[in-house]
Amino acid sequence: MNTWVKVARYHLVRPANYLFLLWILPFSFAVGAVTAGRGRGHDAAGYLISFFIYFGVLGMQTIGRSLPFGLTLGASRRSFYSGTALLGMALALVSGLALTALQAIERATDGWGLSMHFFRVPYLLNGPWYATWLTSAVVLFALFVYGMWHGIVYSRWGPLGTLAFIAVQVLVVVAGAVVVRFEHWGVRSAASGSSAGLTALGLTAVVAALAVLVLAGGHATIRRATV
Amino acid sequence: MTPAISATGLTRRYRDHTALDDINIAISGGTITGLLGRNGAGKTTLLRILAGHEFPSSGSVRVLGAPPAENEDVLRRLVFVREDQAYPDIKVGQALRAASWFHPNWDSTLASSLLDDFGVRANKAVKKLSRGQRSALGITIGLAARAEVTLFDEPYAGLDAVARQVFYDRLLADFAEFPRTVLLSTHLIDEAAALFEGVIVIDRGRVVLDAPADVLRGVATRVSGPCLAVDALAGGRPVWERRRLGSQASVVMVGPLSPDDREQARSSGLDLTPLSLQQIVVQAAAGVLAPAPETSFETERTCA
Repeated sequence: MNTWVKVARYHLVRPANYLFLLWILPFSFAVGAVTAGRGRGHDAAGYLISFFIYFGVLGMQTIGRSLPFGLTLGASRRSFYSGTALLGMALALVSGLALTALQAIERATDGWGLSMHFFRVPYLLNGPWYATWLTSAVVLFALFVYGMWHGIVYSRWGPLGTLAFIAVQVLVVVAGAVVVRFEHWGVRSAASGSSAGLTALGLTAVVAALAVLVLAGGHATIRRATV
Repeated sequence: MTPAISATGLTRRYRDHTALDDINIAISGGTITGLLGRNGAGKTTLLRILAGHEFPSSGSVRVLGAPPAENEDVLRRLVFVREDQAYPDIKVGQALRAASWFHPNWDSTLASSLLDDFGVRANKAVKKLSRGQRSALGITIGLAARAEVTLFDEPYAGLDAVARQVFYDRLLADFAEFPRTVLLSTHLIDEAAALFEGVIVIDRGRVVLDAPADVLRGVATRVSGPCLAVDALAGGRPVWERRRLGSQASVVMVGPLSPDDREQARSSGLDLTPLSLQQIVVQAAAGVLAPAPETSFETERTCA
């Protein structure tokens, strides 16, 4: 058995964290269903964000105390990282597929009989099935590896190092926003849903590129991690 | 023959201190070696570097002929049981199942039998284990892995005497059946002394003693009895330590005793007690063991 697969199995030996994924969706859906009538256009897609956020948390949890025992088991840092990312990719693909199927059901049942928009996220997840699958899987995977990177930073430099890492990211984002505003690039917030310069698939490509960058950053960080 | 474990010029510096300073060792395959020394001497750092968990500042290490860091050809043939092992939030049985996937020679029957011997239940969460039970889990993984190189770092912290004896017995029994290279760091030196074929003593990051255990067992003898008789036997010979209480004296004589020496001691009513490994290690850690001990110690004549 390939070491990457062994590492992925090692994470799954404790299934509770992953089974929690199955609970988040129905719970947030129930909250959405109860409150959908109050939203404009019965839009409850905002509640779906909890599912995406949990992917980031899950990515963070795969490092923590799992890394020291993973290395003790005989995995190299490289394999531990790659196997963990492989698990994240598999989870993202399966979860994306589930979101796609649920979106199809939502369309077929006119929003679960409530005219509700839960799995149809305006602009982002509102296209053909393959676009929904691709976009959701890419975003979920990006969040997973983003969480992993934070877990590795915490493992190497502790809470202060993690705070510094987050502060640097905030600075980069603020600097980026300032540059964009000055340059008048005309790319308006995708989340606002109004005349964004990118299509949803274009944005997916940007997120995929960011995920690759984050993957490379996480890999560079774990290479010298000691346990 | 290529040693199973070797280090050349190995140094590990941290910001404010040097944990390992120019370590040079070579451990033959198929042996059990004791890695001994005081707290903070550098034993754990050395083992962590050998297991690829830590990186050297300079120098090199080789395990099974290759550097271990990020080298899965080596890592899959190595198991490292550490005192401070952090486990994820899993149960004992899950930890063993995961270990079985990574270690090609894993013996599930041995693992179950060891858990029974130590009285640890497989369905218990690792975080709910007592300190001794966590040590038992580490020992179980270390032995059941049957890895070619097995590194134990204070593996039995918190274990009672009976459980420690179980560890010694099972290690020896399994070692006899499946020989491997074992490096065991411990503070319970005399308890584990019978296991060792070789002994390495580290103090303040440096190797102060590296010798076969058999050689060390006869290297020094405590001679005690009437002061004048002790001086008569020890006169002109190197000693490590001299104590005197009234007309009685006690010295530690370095070097093997001849049959004539023993006869002289018997007729003079002197007690001869070979120095235990622990006492030798204490001497080594105190810096008494110089490179040429036979020329380094002068006898003090205090009874004349």
